[in-house]
Amino acid sequence: MSALTFTARGMPAADIDCGGLTCDSLAGKSAAEVAKLPILVGGRQTPCGDVFDVSGSDTMQIVFRGNGATCNRIGAGMTIGSIRVEGDAGDHLGLQMKGGKITVTGNAGDFAACEMKRGRIVVQGNVGDSAGAPLPGNKKGMSGGMLVVHGNAGERLADQLRRGQILVAGNAGAYAASRMIAGTLVVLGTVGAHCGHAMRRGSLIVRQRPPLPATFADCGTHTLAFLPLLMASWKEAGAPFATLPVNPRAQRWMGDTGNGGKAEVLVWA
Amino acid sequence: MLIKLTGGKVIDPAHNVDGVARDIYIRDGRIVDAPEPGAKVDQEYDLRGKLVMAGAIDLHTHIGGGKVNIARAMLPEDHRPDLCAATDLERSGCGHAAPSTFTTGYRYAEMGYTAGFEPAMMPVNARQAHMEMGDTPIIDKGAYAMLGSDDLLLSLMKDGVDQRVINDYVAWTITHSQAMGLKVVNPGGISAFKFNQRKLDLDEQAPFYGVTPRQILKTLAQALHDLGVPHPLHVHGCNLGVPGNVQTTLDSFAALDGLPAHFTHIQFHSYGTEGDRKFSSGAAHIAEMVNKHKNISVDVGQILFGQTVTASGDNMSQHRNAAHADPSKSVIMDIECDAGCGVVPFRYRDTNFVNALQWCIGLETFLLVDDPWRVFLTTDHPNGAPFTSYPHLIRLLMDKSFRNEQLARINTDAAGLSTLGSLDREYSLYEIAIMTRAAPAKTLGLRDRGHLGVGAAADITVYTEDADREKMFAKPNYVFKDGTLVARDGRIVQVVWGNTHVVKPEYDPGIEKVIEPHFRRFRTQRMGNFKISNDEMCECGHGSKLHVHDCTHGRKQ
Ligand SMILES: [Zn+2]
Ligand SMILES: [Zn+2]
Repeated sequence: MSALTFTARGMPAADIDCGGLTCDSLAGKSAAEVAKLPILVGGRQTPCGDVFDVSGSDTMQIVFRGNGATCNRIGAGMTIGSIRVEGDAGDHLGLQMKGGKITVTGNAGDFAACEMKRGRIVVQGNVGDSAGAPLPGNKKGMSGGMLVVHGNAGERLADQLRRGQILVAGNAGAYAASRMIAGTLVVLGTVGAHCGHAMRRGSLIVRQRPPLPATFADCGTHTLAFLPLLMASWKEAGAPFATLPVNPRAQRWMGDTGNGGKAEVLVWA
Repeated sequence: MLIKLTGGKVIDPAHNVDGVARDIYIRDGRIVDAPEPGAKVDQEYDLRGKLVMAGAIDLHTHIGGGKVNIARAMLPEDHRPDLCAATDLERSGCGHAAPSTFTTGYRYAEMGYTAGFEPAMMPVNARQAHMEMGDTPIIDKGAYAMLGSDDLLLSLMKDGVDQRVINDYVAWTITHSQAMGLKVVNPGGISAFKFNQRKLDLDEQAPFYGVTPRQILKTLAQALHDLGVPHPLHVHGCNLGVPGNVQTTLDSFAALDGLPAHFTHIQFHSYGTEGDRKFSSGAAHIAEMVNKHKNISVDVGQILFGQTVTASGDNMSQHRNAAHADPSKSVIMDIECDAGCGVVPFRYRDTNFVNALQWCIGLETFLLVDDPWRVFLTTDHPNGAPFTSYPHLIRLLMDKSFRNEQLARINTDAAGLSTLGSLDREYSLYEIAIMTRAAPAKTLGLRDRGHLGVGAAADITVYTEDADREKMFAKPNYVFKDGTLVARDGRIVQVVWGNTHVVKPEYDPGIEKVIEPHFRRFRTQRMGNFKISNDEMCECGHGSKLHVHDCTHGRKQ
C-alpha cells in the first residue's frame, strides 16, 4: 500500500486547515472519499480535492507534498500513525497531538507542537515563534512527547512548557524557556535575550552561558548523575543529539527568583 | 398585518389562565382583540396541541459592561471550542460562559427568552454596558445601576444629609446612566476593600466614611421606595460565599424595616456553619423568612456543574475566590470612585463537597419558597452557570425523579447533609410561567410584557409539551418578538433589535450642584460626559426603541 498523499495544486490559497486530515480521522477512507471531504480554506468550507491532489491508500501514513507553508494545523490532535511533510508546514503543526509521529523536511511555522501531549515531531529546518507553547491565553504549553528541531527556533520557545523535551540543534530566539513550568529544553546553539524569564521549574540545557536575567543565581559546577541518563534518551533523536560527548559536569544557575526560583539552567560542554 | 395563533393552550398567570385553548391575534407587534368576523388574517399558525406562554424574562443576567468584556478577553479557552459561524442571518460569534454579544442574543431568543436585564452596571461604565447590550440582538434589555460603595453616596451619608438629597442623587444616577433600577453590591464592602479590609459585616462601620452596610441598605431601599421606582432595591448582600452568611442575610432582611427589596443570587448568601466541615445549608431559614415577609423577593443564582466564569462587582469576595480560580487566572479591579470588579473563572464539580452542597442549597431554596411570584429562576449568568442551562434547571424543578437521579451522583457527604431528597415538590408549568414571565415583568414594572392580554407586546413563545422538560424548554417551536417570528424549533429565522427599558424618576435639578464638583475634583470624566442621552441610546442599539416606564409604584405623595 502506498502512503495517502496530498499534493498541493499550484500555489495554495491562504490558510488551509489541515486539522481534519489525520490518520485518526481518515481511517478506512479511500483517496476519492478523502478528496470530497470539506476542509476550511480561507475560512470557507471547500472540498479537500480542490486544493490537494489526493492519491495513495494507506491512511496510517500520510504525506503532504508541495508548498505547505499555508497548510496549518497539520496533525492536530492525532493519536496514531505518521505524517511526513515534504517541504514546509504552516502554523500549529501537531497542535494538541496525542501520539504518532510527524516529520517535516522543511521549516514549520509558529506554534509548532503547541499543547502537544504525546508523540514525536521532527523538523529538519527551522520552527517559528512559540514552539511548544500554549495557545494564546492558555496556561500550559506542551505537556509530553518530544519536539526535535534541526534548524533554529524563533522567539518564546518552550513558553509555559509543562512536560516533555524540546531539542534544538541550532539557535533559539528571545524569551526561550519563558514562564516554563516543567520539562526540558535543550539548545545546542545560542540562546537569545531574556531567556528563562519568569521560569518556574524545569531545565534549560545549553552548551554556552546564555544572557541570563539578573534574577538567576549561580550555584556552581556539579557532577550531575542524571545528565548521562537524560542524554541516553536523546539516542532516538539521532545526530547531532545522539552523538554528543557524554559529560556529567555542568554549571548550574537557579531562577527565576522573581517567580519561585526552582528552575535550572545547566551549562555543559 | 394580522397574525393569528390558533388554538394553542395558553398559560398566562398574569390573567390566571392555565392551559385554556384560545386564539391570539397580533397586529403591529401587539396582542389585539379578535377582529370582526371575516377580517383578513395575513398569517396563521396552527398551534392546536401546543403550549403558549409569553416570552421569558431574565431579571438578572450579566450580559453587558466592563466585567463581561474582561471575562471574554481573559478566557480564549471559553471561546475556542464554542464557535458559531456567520450565516446569512447571524453574525459569527463564540463563547460558552461569556458569549459574544450577538451569540448571547441569539441563544436567549432560541430558548424563548425575549428580555434580559444586566444587574450590575457601574454608572461610570454605563456607556460601555449599553453599547454591548445595543449589540445584543432580538431580546429586550435594561440594566440596574450600581451604587452603595461609591464615594459620593458614602460621603453624603457621612455628612448626614437628608434622605431627600440621597433620593435626588439616586434618581439622577438612574436617569443619566439610563438604568431600569438600582443594585447595591456588598454595601460599603467594595469601598472597604480599597482600604485593605477583607470583610465588612452588616453592622460594621466602613473605613473612612463610618457608615454601616445596614445604613446603606436602608437608605437606598428608602430612596427607591420614595422615588416610586417599580423594581425595589436589588440587593447583593454582605459576606457573599462566606460560611455562616445566612445570619447576615436574615439580618439584612430585617434591616429593611418592611421596605420592599429584591435579594439576588440568594443561594450564595444561604450558608450555615453546621457539620464537620463547618459548611451547611441555610436554605430552610431563608425560605421561611421569605415566605413570611411579603416585602422580600429573591432570585436563586443556582449553580450547575461545569465550567463557567464568575463576574461580579464584589471585588472583596472575588479576591477571596481568586485562590480557587480554574483555569488559574483572575482579574480584580478598582473602578475609580464608583466601585470595583472581579472576574474569576470557575469550574463547579459534583464531586466537590462545597460545590455539591451549593447545588443542593439552590434547589432547596426553589422548592421551599412557597410563592413563585417572589422567587425567580436565575443562575446569575454566568456566575452559577451559563444561561443556556436554564432548560436543565427547569427540568430539575419540574421532575422529582430526574432531580433525585442527579442527587445520587453528587458528593455523598453533601447529598447526605441536604434535605433535597426529601422534598417532593415539582413545579408546574403554570408556576414556571410565573417565575420566568409574569413575576419578573411585575417586579420590573413592565406592564406590557410577561403576559398575553390584549395590548401586551407580542413577545410569545410556543412549546410542544414533552415529559422531558429540558428538551421542551431548550427548543420552542416558535418565538415571536414584538410580533415577528424570530426563532423556529430552536433556530433563528429572523433578527430584530429589541427595546431598551429604563426609568426616569423625578429629582430636583439642584442636586447637580453637589454632583458636578465631585466629578470635577475626583473623577476622570466630567459630569456632562457622564450623562447618556436618549438619542445616544438609540444610536448604539441598531435603532432599538427606548421605553421609559412610570415611577408611580408605591410613591410617596
Ligand atoms: Zn451580585
Ligand atoms: Zn449577578
